[in-house]
Amino acid sequence: MSVQTQLTKGKIDLKGSAQIVTEFFLYGLNSILFQRGLYPVEDFDRKKKYGIDVWVSNDATVKDYLQKIMESVEEWISAGKISKLVLAIKSRESRETLERWQFDVQLVEEGEKAKGPKSEKTLQMEIQAIFRQIAASVSFLPIVEEKCTFNILVYTSADAEVPTTWADSDPLHIKNPEQVRLRSFATDAHRVEAMVAYRRDPDLC
Amino acid sequence: MSSNTPKTASFSSHTPNPARAPSKSLREDRSAFPSPRTAGKPATGSSSAVNGAVPRVAGPPSPRTKKGKPAQYDRFIPNRSDKELASSQFNIARSDTEQPLDGATIAYHEEVARACGVSINKRILSFKEEAPTSDRDDLRQVYSRPALKSNASTTAKRRILNTPERVLDAPGLVDDYYLNLLDWSLGNTLAIGLDQSVYLWNASSGDVNSLCQLEGDSYVCSVKWTTDGSYLAIGTCDGDVQIWDAESQSRIRTMTGHQARVGVMSWERHMLSSGCRDGSIWNHDVRIANHKTAELIAHSGEVCGLTWRSDGALLASGGNDNLVNIWDARSAVPKFTKTQHTAAVKALAWSPWQLNLLASGGGSHDRHVHFWNTTTTARLDSIDTGSQVTSIQWSNEYRELVTSHGFPHNHLALWSYPSLAKIVDIPAHDTRVLHTAISPDGQTVATAASDESLKFWRIFETRTKSGKATKNGMLSAAAATAGAGSGLLRGVPSSGAGSGSGASSASDISHPAHFR
Repeated sequence: MSVQTQLTKGKIDLKGSAQIVTEFFLYGLNSILFQRGLYPVEDFDRKKKYGIDVWVSNDATVKDYLQKIMESVEEWISAGKISKLVLAIKSRESRETLERWQFDVQLVEEGEKAKGPKSEKTLQMEIQAIFRQIAASVSFLPIVEEKCTFNILVYTSADAEVPTTWADSDPLHIKNPEQVRLRSFATDAHRVEAMVAYRRDPDLC
Repeated sequence: MSSNTPKTASFSSHTPNPARAPSKSLREDRSAFPSPRTAGKPATGSSSAVNGAVPRVAGPPSPRTKKGKPAQYDRFIPNRSDKELASSQFNIARSDTEQPLDGATIAYHEEVARACGVSINKRILSFKEEAPTSDRDDLRQVYSRPALKSNASTTAKRRILNTPERVLDAPGLVDDYYLNLLDWSLGNTLAIGLDQSVYLWNASSGDVNSLCQLEGDSYVCSVKWTTDGSYLAIGTCDGDVQIWDAESQSRIRTMTGHQARVGVMSWERHMLSSGCRDGSIWNHDVRIANHKTAELIAHSGEVCGLTWRSDGALLASGGNDNLVNIWDARSAVPKFTKTQHTAAVKALAWSPWQLNLLASGGGSHDRHVHFWNTTTTARLDSIDTGSQVTSIQWSNEYRELVTSHGFPHNHLALWSYPSLAKIVDIPAHDTRVLHTAISPDGQTVATAASDESLKFWRIFETRTKSGKATKNGMLSAAAATAGAGSGLLRGVPSSGAGSGSGASSASDISHPAHFR
């Protein structure tokens, strides 16, 4: 079911909300991959989404990869087992984490829902703002010269069902990072907060 | 039964050893009970208790220490096959990583986890599959100008200063193009002929002393050290060649015979070749009384350039007749003659790295430097230097050569070989640079000019670390005051040159430096 039909019904239920969040993650990850230059520019296409142009990968392997991840993520969001989604950008040679994009996912408390259904427009504006921020982050994030790869991490609760495609890992924190908190958005059921952490430039200290 | 002290510590925290059920006998006891694992305690061995004896309750698990009693124990293991020796051995060796957590420990762990910000109920999962890599270059990077890569060589740029490292006074230097009055020995002593005297300047210590003074009206026409730096040959205007021992500062012999002044000399081991104003070149064997071994006549003008190749096979000579002659060591007839120069050829130098490469420089009318392959007799290359060429020095370390000039620019020019690109021009003197000599370590070039100054230029600064040590050693020690008795060869401090190593760094402040 598309998000639109969900929204026109008024209140977004949990499943729909999970879909919105997953979709956001998908486009968000694509945007970050584009902005940080993890894949060449030719691998991306522009798409209209959330009222703005978002860059989405057109490379089949990348799309496939992200799709597989998003399937599991959506399940966890629906089950309420996921607390964080992390995109860690690592250098290919040194395997050191250079940048860490962290999205906290929280179930909106019962008490906060009282304000009435979130309108589609507000939600879109909020998500738009995050995308604009991701694009704008290029201005302060350090330039990454070396070839990089990325890892998706998920913080789940201990009782989550983990398919075999996922394995336990360490959090891939950055030593002594600079952290910038980005904007957040909330559907009726979930709240997503975004944050980026990056390596402090040793020359500037 | 032995009444050993019951030393069994308890196996668990609180309960006494359950094996000590009174009914069991000692032996059955041991066999039936593979040693349960506890906190590092060896449970085998001398666990013994008398029937019914109350074992000592050790309280919290503690490692049991053997009391060092002499072996009185009876380790009878009746049924080895019954015992699971392998697993019990393993159990003993294993440390207590799997202690069942009791309530207190769990709570403690949680507290710690909370303090550390780690939630123990959470799992951090990573998608196992690696992200697809893209090997294509990002166009953004391809089309943006990349940072210029630094030179393949990581050596720091070599600085060639416009100012000399050191300046010494050289009063009385005869202003004659055809003489060769400067030479630097392997022992780091510089010999300079000033009118009637020869002075020795020790570059390491900075001492100056007068070696000799010629009688009457005669003046020094040429000085040349032997290749090992032990003897100095002095050519006079009377045609005599004097051999002096530098160490003892005494004259060893005088070789006479030349009809005119000896303006240039070159050593080849024990053989000394002397070039005369009458155009003849004599070879002397300095060891024998009848020293003249060969006479090479091919010049019709004064011989002003003479140099043996380092292997002693060929001799190059240049004269005022504009000829360059190459002589084979065994013959008295030149191997070949070159007539390209249109002026007197004083500057001659063999390349240190390519044995058959000879550079020759012409006088004020010619101003060219020609490069010759002495094997094929071909002219390899030429440079028009723009000024009278008075000498050429090749560098050992770099593929470069420095030429000194007279009219009209009175400068030093540094060229790279084989590209023959001019690296730098150094305005050396106010009048024509007459003579040059290169230091034994190849880093410094000394120039003497008719403006009565002797200047030292660090042109070929070495890149190696060991060179750095010699850098300070070479021209170390203040040479501000001359040694006793000479008073003539005084050191004039160059801009900022105080003592030794301070010289080079201080002198480059006010003057633009050339970067190599």
